[in-house]
Order: sequence, then structure tokens, then C-alpha cells
Amino acid sequence: MSRTFKDRSFGILVKIIFVALLLIAWELIAKSGIMGKRSALIFPPLESIGAAFIRNFTVGYANRSMWVYIGNSMRFMLTGLGIGILLAFLFSGLCMISRIVYHIYQLMISVFDLLPGIALLPVVIVIFGVSPGVIIFLVVHAVLWPMSRNVLDGFQAVPLIYVEAGRNMGLSGLGLLFGVYLPAAVSYILSGLKVAWARAWRGLLSAEMIFGIASSPGLGLYINQMRTSLNTAEMYATLLVIILIGVIVQYGLLEPIEKHTAGKWGMKR
Amino acid sequence: MSDIVLSVTGLTKTYHDHSEQSLILKDLSLQVEEHEFVCLLGPSGCGKTTFLRCIAGFEGYEGSIKINGSERKGPKNDVMMVFQDFNQLFPWKTVEKNVQYPLKLSGIRNAGELKAHSDRALSEVRLNGYEHYYPHQLSGGMKQRVAIAKAFCLKPRMILMDEPFAALDAMTRRDLQKQILELYNKEHCTVLFVTHNIQEALILGTRTIVLQKEGRIVLDEPNLLKKPVTPADPDYGTVWKKLESAIYMEGDR
Ligand SMILES: Nc1ncnc2c1ncn2[C@@H]1O[C@H](COP(=O)(O)OP(=O)(O)OP(=O)(O)O)[C@@H](O)[C@H]1O
Ligand SMILES: [Mg+2]
Repeated sequence: MSRTFKDRSFGILVKIIFVALLLIAWELIAKSGIMGKRSALIFPPLESIGAAFIRNFTVGYANRSMWVYIGNSMRFMLTGLGIGILLAFLFSGLCMISRIVYHIYQLMISVFDLLPGIALLPVVIVIFGVSPGVIIFLVVHAVLWPMSRNVLDGFQAVPLIYVEAGRNMGLSGLGLLFGVYLPAAVSYILSGLKVAWARAWRGLLSAEMIFGIASSPGLGLYINQMRTSLNTAEMYATLLVIILIGVIVQYGLLEPIEKHTAGKWGMKR
Repeated sequence: MSDIVLSVTGLTKTYHDHSEQSLILKDLSLQVEEHEFVCLLGPSGCGKTTFLRCIAGFEGYEGSIKINGSERKGPKNDVMMVFQDFNQLFPWKTVEKNVQYPLKLSGIRNAGELKAHSDRALSEVRLNGYEHYYPHQLSGGMKQRVAIAKAFCLKPRMILMDEPFAALDAMTRRDLQKQILELYNKEHCTVLFVTHNIQEALILGTRTIVLQKEGRIVLDEPNLLKKPVTPADPDYGTVWKKLESAIYMEGDR
């Protein structure tokens, strides 16, 4: 107990020192000008990145604060995530009912899971035009396949005894799905969610960078605009925001959910 | 004459395994009356588990299995199964919720009523104070007690138990035997109990049945030893020997 505690605080200390050294190195390079003319572009000093971070929110770009961009990105993200998860459960549920659906869906998962969403972009633009639908579609694509794979694996791994205990109590059909299969597969579902979220977040940003939607611009468009206008301090500051959002979702949302379900139930894999 | 709860006639069960076909139970017939505690003994592989699984409705079969006069069609909560496996509780539900869940499914919606039922059942198996534990926080014996409380709580027509204590140490086993007898006497239920342990069969049962290969009944008689049964009973040794020779008759000894 005290040993793991000691090791953890040691780990935290190492990480803090490492980050501090990195920042000092950055600042030294920025101030020394060893990168020549482009030094200010590649290594803007920390204080100007800090100022840009604040400016992103107060001034923003095109008269819109960074909050607006974050809001748009998150809206696409959550919509796509929601639709993707719902579809994954729906199709996996159908797979449990019909062997035919199961085999067809297995094929679809193994094919589409390998297809990067960005490669679909041209096709999707033809279908949806330049609209939020494109971005949401890509998020759904990023979520649906890994999520389905995990949900199906999870359903298949449910111990027979839970199913029989459930049937013994009179559960069948949907009752069995919601009463036994879903909770019993929770650790699989959560790892599916983690993969889905990571892919969706990546897919979303790349899609937004390749083509921003003027009517509802997101973070990807923002960082791309900062690059074209050579506001590199703002660019780095935006990267920081993107990292922060990732960290908040991972440690502020997904891990607590895991702790309060699979962790609490002793079902962590 | 009391009511017949379980009526099995001409039960035949075969498993089909990759073109190979094996006969597990052959033309098995048996009747169990209300409030009997039937202990089922027999050598490993003679089909005891298969028999219980047929009664519980988990398996297809030929012949007839009737509960209170109506034919079995798949699992139903009027016959509750207690498995040998400790992991039969739902890990995502607390002890209390595990006990309440079948009651809820059977139509009891009132939270107070559910609580009253589960509290009573859990105190019968001496698990008060553990209501809010999750199964992974319990020992094997405690998990089996919850499973037993869950089964009795529902007041089913019949309770099937497949070596529920086989993996427990002798002391825990004795405690659980005592608790199950108390429950049996209080709740007036009918039990079919599979065990490998002759002593356990004599302590618990009101009737003893020994099966041999293909589910052939080679011994079926009332357990007339005076309760509570102790090895000190003058007839204990004779009955014990008779059962032992019935179980090991086919030359594995
Ligand atoms: N799913 C199955 N498929 C094929 N054969 C099976 C299956 N389940 C059990 N058997 C066979 O049926 C026979 C009886 O098994 P069963 O589990 O009913 O025996 P048992 O009397 O409960 O034995 P034990 O005392 O060891 O628990 C065994 O020979 C076993 O190999
Ligand atoms: Mg068995």
C-alpha cells in the first residue's frame, strides 16, 4: 500500500520535472534565436503562447471567441457519438437475434473498420454537400465500427451461467438483453467507448481542418486559420486546448464512468 | 396424500455431439410430492446435472416433465435453480438487489415490499449487514447463501440445487446445511438436491435416490433417520453402507 503510494508520488514528481525541463528548454531556444529568422514562428516564447491562449477566448477569430469553435466541435462530436453508439447497440442487438444479420454485420465491421474516415470525405461531400452532416457522418463512422466490435465481443463473452440465471427468473428477448447482456458486457462496452472516442476526436479534427464549415466553424478550422495567418502562438495555444479537452474527457468522464461501473462491480478486465 | 409437484415420465435425453450421439438419460420416471426434500446421489457422469437442467427447462428432451400438472416449456421462475458455480449472482447488482430482482420480475413493484422480502430472506441465511455489498466482495460460502436466499424468497414450486456446497470447506458446509434445513421447514417448499456426499444427503433429505448410468434409478427410499441426523444414530451406519454400495455398485470400487 505505502509502496504503491510512494511509487505513485515518485511518478508524479518525475512527470512534473520532465515537463518543467521541457518548458525551460523551449523558452531557452525561443530566447536564444538559434533557429534563425523563423525562430519566432516555430518557437514563440511561452509568455506569448500564454497571452495567445487568453486572446483565443477574448478576441478569438472572425469576431467569434474560441468558445464558439469549441461549442461547435463538441456539438458535432456528441451528436455523432450518440448516433454511433445507438446504432452500434441496435445492430449488435439484431446480430444476437439473427445469425444472418450477424454474419453480414461481421463482414461490414471488418471492412469498414479498416477504412479511414478521411478517405470517405470526397464521397460524403458529394452526398451531404458542405454541411455539418459530413462531419457528423465521419464521427459516426469513427464510432460505429469499433463500438460494434466491442459490444458484440462483449455479448459473446457473457458467461452462460448469467444467461441461464436470467432465463430462470423469467427473462427473455429484450429483457434478457437489457437485464443481463448489457450489464454483463460493461467492460467490453467501456473499452469500445474509449477507442470510439479517441477515433472520433481525431476524425473530427482532421475533417474540420480539411474543410471548415463557415456557418458552424469548429476547432479544426480555427487551428488551420491560425496557421494560414501565421499566428503560431495562437496555433500552439489551440493545440493546448485540444489536448486539454482530450484529458478532461479521458480522466474527467471515461475513467470515472469505469470506476463507478466495472470497477465497483469487480468486473474490470 | 399430498399433491404431486414434480411428475417425470419416460424422460429420455440424448446429446448430439459432432455426429456422435450419446444417451444420457433413458426412460427416467419419478414423482416428487409437495414438501419433500429429495437428495439425488450417483457416480460422476450418471446424468444428475442433466436431469436438473431438463427440469429447469434449459434442455430439450423426450418424454414428459410436469410441474403441478403442467408441462415444462422452457425455463420459468416457478422452478428455481441454485448452481454449484459461485458466480451465479449478477456482479453488477448488490446482494439485496440480486435477491429482489426475481421478485421484481415476478411483479412486485413496491420498494418497501421488496425490501421486506429481501431483508427477511437475507436474515434467514445470516447475511444481515451485507445488503449493500457487491458479490465480488463476498466469500464463496456467502455467495451461495445469497443464491439460496434468492431462490427461497420467490417461493417457487420447487427448488433445484446442484451440489451447491461442493466447493466449500467442511465447517461452512455444516453451517449452510443448518440454514437450508431451517428455510426448508419454515417456507414449506419442495427441494431436489444433488450431492456427492452421503452424509449431506442423510442430514438434509426426507428421501434418497441413487442414479446409475443412463439415469437408472437403483435406489429410492424415504430417509427415516430421526432429525436432526447425527452419525450417532444407531441406524446411521447401516443406511450409509447401503447408499454407498448403491452408488459404487458398478465396479468402480
Ligand atoms: N452439453 C453436453 N454435450 C454433450 N454431452 C454432455 C453435455 N453435458 C453433459 N454431457 C455428458 O452427459 C453425461 C452426464 O453429465 P452430467 O453433468 O449430467 O453428470 P453428473 O451426474 O452431474 O456428474 P457430476 O457428478 O460429475 O456432476 C456425461 O457423460 C457428460 O459427458
Ligand atoms: Mg453434475
